[in-house]
Amino acid sequence: MKALEVAKKDLRIEFRTKGTLNLMILFALVTSMMFSVSIPMSVAERVAPSLMWLVFLFVGMLGYGRAFLREAETGTLEGLKMAPISPVSVLVGKVLYNIVLMLLMEAIVLPIFVGLFDLSVSKPLLMLLSVTLGNVGFVVVVSSLSILVIKSKTREMLLPILIFPVVFPVITSTIVAIRMSISGDISGIVSPLSLICGFAILMFVVSCLTFEHAFTD
Amino acid sequence: MKAVELENVVKRFGNIVALRGITLTVEEGESIALLGPNGAGKTTVVKLIAGLLKPSRGTVRVFGEVPWKNYGVRKRIGVVSHNTFLYEDLTAYENLLFYCRLYDAEEGRIDELLEFFGLKGRKHDLVRGFSRGMKQRLSIARALLHDPPLLILDEPTTGLDIEGRRELLELLTEVGEEKTVIFTTHDVREVEGICGRVAIIKDGRVVYCGVVEEDLEELYMRAIYEGA
Repeated sequence: MKALEVAKKDLRIEFRTKGTLNLMILFALVTSMMFSVSIPMSVAERVAPSLMWLVFLFVGMLGYGRAFLREAETGTLEGLKMAPISPVSVLVGKVLYNIVLMLLMEAIVLPIFVGLFDLSVSKPLLMLLSVTLGNVGFVVVVSSLSILVIKSKTREMLLPILIFPVVFPVITSTIVAIRMSISGDISGIVSPLSLICGFAILMFVVSCLTFEHAFTD
Repeated sequence: MKAVELENVVKRFGNIVALRGITLTVEEGESIALLGPNGAGKTTVVKLIAGLLKPSRGTVRVFGEVPWKNYGVRKRIGVVSHNTFLYEDLTAYENLLFYCRLYDAEEGRIDELLEFFGLKGRKHDLVRGFSRGMKQRLSIARALLHDPPLLILDEPTTGLDIEGRRELLELLTEVGEEKTVIFTTHDVREVEGICGRVAIIKDGRVVYCGVVEEDLEELYMRAIYEGA
């Protein structure tokens, strides 16, 4: 329940200031447009899944880490650390907040991306599921790793360096699943989707087990 | 019963040793001032008591519990610091409501405290627009939401003008009655009337601890410069 309070508080601040969400959506739209004008339509269908994920990756890196960075910058992180709330509840709250941001961004960016590349998606629901699952795994990783870099002066650079190797299995599996759902050949889609789900669960469990050490002291 | 017990506490931050074996006890209902120059280790001591830090060596207990391990005991601690821990983009009410729910406090306390600290008229205003003094008053209200028996005041007057400082100290004296109070400052004049006992910290060590029966300023200077 306290995790929900943390998420609600963050969402209230975000909807009031719109600092992170506006930045994420703007960045996603600009990169999508740049990709769409520079990539020939003949190869669009082949490269679109990778480009789509690239957009989400950059935007996620920019936005999801902010959940903890903002608390550290404003000094409110210490208030959370002193409160009678377990570090895991704080992490769950931040993950929930980031998932809401992610869903909002997906709802805005995904149709625009599909439209810009003139993609005819054979299995739209499966594509939505693949993107969402991949993003959930990504959100879990960014949310839990961002606490490690908040004390660093080079945190904006350090976060992607830490994240890329960890999320690599999610990236490749999501790209495969998106490609399958666009082409309509979904015979082997269970395998990448299972990998994405397994990875998200594994990362969440590992984060819960290790987060206390990163959060305290 | 002892409210706070620190036993031979050492705290290291990498190669820096912030505390070099501090032993200190605070009885329930007692008010103690931790005095010392900047960098002496006062804030490290209060962060250990508040559960923000783990000791590198030694033990810290608050009401018999280890604060960095036991989240429940934090409901018995209220911290007022120079950092207000307030969210600038939330209103005064929203800030208190958030902390109220984290501490499982009664929501009815919010209006009561806003009234007491003269902030009822600004209840629905964003904290961003508050003066430093108002933020600090709201921060005290935040610390008192769950009516903690232990109140930690870590240099709460930092950044306030003389009038704001006087007002805040009066408020703290009033709300600190019947509570265990730990007050850290480097300004010895602030302590008078609030604390019955002082502990003077220098270079991570307690160089004096006791009831003040002479001129505090003189005692402080002697402890800092002569170590006695």
